Amino acid sequence: MSATGRRTRLRGRPLLHTSYASELALFDTPAKRTSVGMLLMLAVALPFLLPDEVLQLLAVCCVAAIGAIGLGLVTGYAGQVSLGHAFFLAIGAYTAAAISGDPDGRVIGFGVTNIGVWLPAAGLVAGLAGVLVAPLATRLRGLYLAIVTLGLVFIGQHVFSEWSALTGGAGVGRPAATLEFFGQPLAATGALGTRDQKLYWLMLLFLLIFALAAANLARSRIGRAFTAIRDRDIAAGVIGVNLARYKAIAFAVSSAYAGCAGALLYTVTGFFDPSSFSLLLSVQYIAMVLIGGAGTISGAIAGAFFITLLPRLTREMQAWVPFLSAQPNEVPNVFQVETILYGVLLIVFLLFEPRGLFGIWVRVRNYWKAWPFSY
Amino acid sequence: MTEAGTTPSATTPDPATPDPATPDPATPDPATPDPPTPDPAVPSPATSVRTVATRVRERARTTPDAVAMREKDRGIWQEVTWAEYWDTVQTVAHGLLALGVQPGDRVAIHAENRREWLYADLATVALRAMTVGLYPTNPPAEVGYLLAHSGARVLVAEDQEQVDKALEVFDQCPELHRIVYLEPRGIRRRYQHPALLDWTELLRIGTEHRAAEPGAVDGRMAKATAEDIATLIYTSGTTGPPKGAMLSVANVDFAIRTLVQSGGFTDPPPGPADVLLSYLPLCHVAERIFTTWFNAGAGVQIAFAESIDTVQANLREVQPTILFGVPRIWEKILAGVTIRLANTSPVKRWNARLWLGIADRIAGTLIRTGGRPTAGTRLAYGIGWLFCYRALRARIGMRRVRYAASGAAPIAPDVLRFFMGIGIRMHEVYGMTENTAVATANRPGRIRLGTVGEPQPGIELRIEATGEILTRHPGVFTGYYRDPVATAAAFTDDGWLRTGDIGEWVDGTHVRITDRARDIMITAGGKNVAPSEIENALKASPYLKEAILVGDRRPYLTALIGIELETVGEWAQRRGLPYTTYRDLSEKPEVRTLVGEVVEAVNARHAPVEQVRRFALLPKELDHVDGELTATQKVRRSAVADRFAELVEALYPPSAGSRSGHGGEAA
Repeated sequence: MSATGRRTRLRGRPLLHTSYASELALFDTPAKRTSVGMLLMLAVALPFLLPDEVLQLLAVCCVAAIGAIGLGLVTGYAGQVSLGHAFFLAIGAYTAAAISGDPDGRVIGFGVTNIGVWLPAAGLVAGLAGVLVAPLATRLRGLYLAIVTLGLVFIGQHVFSEWSALTGGAGVGRPAATLEFFGQPLAATGALGTRDQKLYWLMLLFLLIFALAAANLARSRIGRAFTAIRDRDIAAGVIGVNLARYKAIAFAVSSAYAGCAGALLYTVTGFFDPSSFSLLLSVQYIAMVLIGGAGTISGAIAGAFFITLLPRLTREMQAWVPFLSAQPNEVPNVFQVETILYGVLLIVFLLFEPRGLFGIWVRVRNYWKAWPFSY
Repeated sequence: MTEAGTTPSATTPDPATPDPATPDPATPDPATPDPPTPDPAVPSPATSVRTVATRVRERARTTPDAVAMREKDRGIWQEVTWAEYWDTVQTVAHGLLALGVQPGDRVAIHAENRREWLYADLATVALRAMTVGLYPTNPPAEVGYLLAHSGARVLVAEDQEQVDKALEVFDQCPELHRIVYLEPRGIRRRYQHPALLDWTELLRIGTEHRAAEPGAVDGRMAKATAEDIATLIYTSGTTGPPKGAMLSVANVDFAIRTLVQSGGFTDPPPGPADVLLSYLPLCHVAERIFTTWFNAGAGVQIAFAESIDTVQANLREVQPTILFGVPRIWEKILAGVTIRLANTSPVKRWNARLWLGIADRIAGTLIRTGGRPTAGTRLAYGIGWLFCYRALRARIGMRRVRYAASGAAPIAPDVLRFFMGIGIRMHEVYGMTENTAVATANRPGRIRLGTVGEPQPGIELRIEATGEILTRHPGVFTGYYRDPVATAAAFTDDGWLRTGDIGEWVDGTHVRITDRARDIMITAGGKNVAPSEIENALKASPYLKEAILVGDRRPYLTALIGIELETVGEWAQRRGLPYTTYRDLSEKPEVRTLVGEVVEAVNARHAPVEQVRRFALLPKELDHVDGELTATQKVRRSAVADRFAELVEALYPPSAGSRSGHGGEAA
């Protein structure tokens, strides 16, 4: 008889929570568990379905998603608008590249090619930089904070383009970190798959780890403090949230995510130069968060994929729209369309769907969830 | 009534009954080893007496780790296993022993449905004392009457509100020694009354007593006899003060064996896999059956609703398998569905209209077949399940309901029809405190809409020439506490219980209740009118909450009508009709028109003498505290007639010899 079992959970009653753990579970319903599982299986199977060139792009998407999740934590969850994300990406990228770089090379390098060393180091150094910036955030908010973080980008750009011993200098650049784990190259064409296949799987794995960690953080005491600060920092302070502390944590975690993303990002292409870390990159990440849906992990991932794939999609468009040209010197060309689309999308999302792609999903989900009622 | 032909013989066993005495082999119930033979002879040897306490002790022994009940505390449904349940009951019983509770003493419980209610109830029964339940809504005067009349020795009061009521009347209750409070907030360190005792303190005393005399409670339980009074249930008393019906251990045992273990209601009988939401007042016999006796008798898991206001939310969370409701609950759920469907997007509205139309047709077929689905209804329902019924049932918390029952008051057949259509096996049942609610029930598969079903197996039920229903069986109560006059009046000379309900046989098997004997109206024209049927037809509208028919010794029928604030408010909002209070809303001419349409529709289905000629809208919601409703939310006709006398008189203007069409429309 089933009744003799120790406190068997009542089956098929997703709203009946008999412990806080079940109430806080990330994947609390069977539907959520199966859909996430199937999505994951599809993601793992993709390398067998798509050409390498697309996989490489998807690997970049995965890394960008890590960065977007990081920005989502500070901007989406904690409500601190940061335009300085490019700066933290740069710190991570250069830390990792310097640690794993060739000691005898043209630029600074320490020769520790183990990803187990350079990836945490990149996160740590960027996180520390975030902590240094955090005091600004405790004194400023809204537009003022955005302007101050904007300053970081310009300072960073100047330093990185002048410090050619580290960065190789503007227009020249340096090789990115080496993907290697205790002497084992992680992404090299071999019996198990091509370089791009392995690269994609590796980045997918990192994305999964970072996304779960962020989701876990968001539902914890810290995450709740973040949302309290976002909704009203004065009220949060009054109910006992230590503003200075939690804003510092938000910046530290966000910068650490950015650092890791920066370190991984250029291992895909293998080479980068300091002009990449411009204001445009920051804006791109802001766009990922906004278009994906501020204050959600899955939204940040969706936004990162969408923004990263946008150039590729517009190029595909050329096959369908005959008057578009693929040549930059002809009008109209796909690059113009891309730029226009980018701007139009931002405006449309902010005007009509401020909660982003995730908001659209929520709306669709609620429509069916409320069936046969409307609420 | 005119059913004299069928009156004298009605001792069921119905030959068509698949004998409920033999338990269904497909659903073995490990914890009910006793053969549920409906043996009317009351067992007398003291050692073999089974009380609810011994039943729980038995379950704690056989299935210690299974869940007995759940209660939501700080957002989480806290679970209590049978072992924990029985352990706490013992501690409480020892605590009560230490307070000096003797066999035959009364212990009053004044709380919402919660774990402590059952702990205190079972501990009391274990000590061979009597449990007296008080309605949480009882005002101080009634609390005083009940405590003084029952002579309760210990009162278990829920919180500051109930403690205040008890302290207000403390001097009128010389036998009251102790007030145990469950929620210390506002009481501890502020109230200095010597009778007050914290529940945790009671548990501490009990633990000490248990350590000192470990066998005391078991010893007391072993001495229990079938004649012990297990509980006093005060009837709500629509006329006069409440009367305390004494239900003995034998009565309760009979009710558990008939209604629970042999499946007097459900088929197959309830078991440990069933889940039930407890939300109606436990001092009423109906909820006592469904909560305490289903729990102890069949191991059904109980979930306590947070309050009566959160029932719908709790239903969605718990998704019970067995659901009992009073008509008001079913009407309210139906009104909620109607209103929310009216507010949906066009696609959803179209979908719902389609499938509810089909549901109505399914219900029509089910009513013809007595609730047995045909191939056609199964097919239609199966498709509708995908598009509507599954989601709809999950939203109203009835996705898993395998048996639903309505009782305690008459209900409009249209309401039952709706629920039958969307696939809920709905049964109207009938019983009263005085016969431990063992009377009639619609059995699954043999439903007859508009009747209260067939007599329970193994009981005697007949209908007098006057139409009054009489019952005789081991569940009939011992008498009214401290009221021999009323007790004598409740029985016929040959020992039948007078129910006071007027009924008739339908096809010789089912009983239809016409009305309470004293509610039958005789108009000035000499016509007999049973008000409840018309009132329920009116109340089936989602917009109407109360309908009180007036017409005794009057030229025609009129009605006092109370609107349902929620739905009419919603309706007004959609119409852009501003309003402030209940009174303001009910005085709006548009609302009068709305109600007028409902009345008109009901009139169309009735003979001219039974038509409501005029109506008035009540300016306030009826309330227990104001004495207009009983604790069970039944209307006290006399109180309402007194209070709204002017309103009633205005419905019969002096010049009303001439028929003035429809008074309600005049505005």
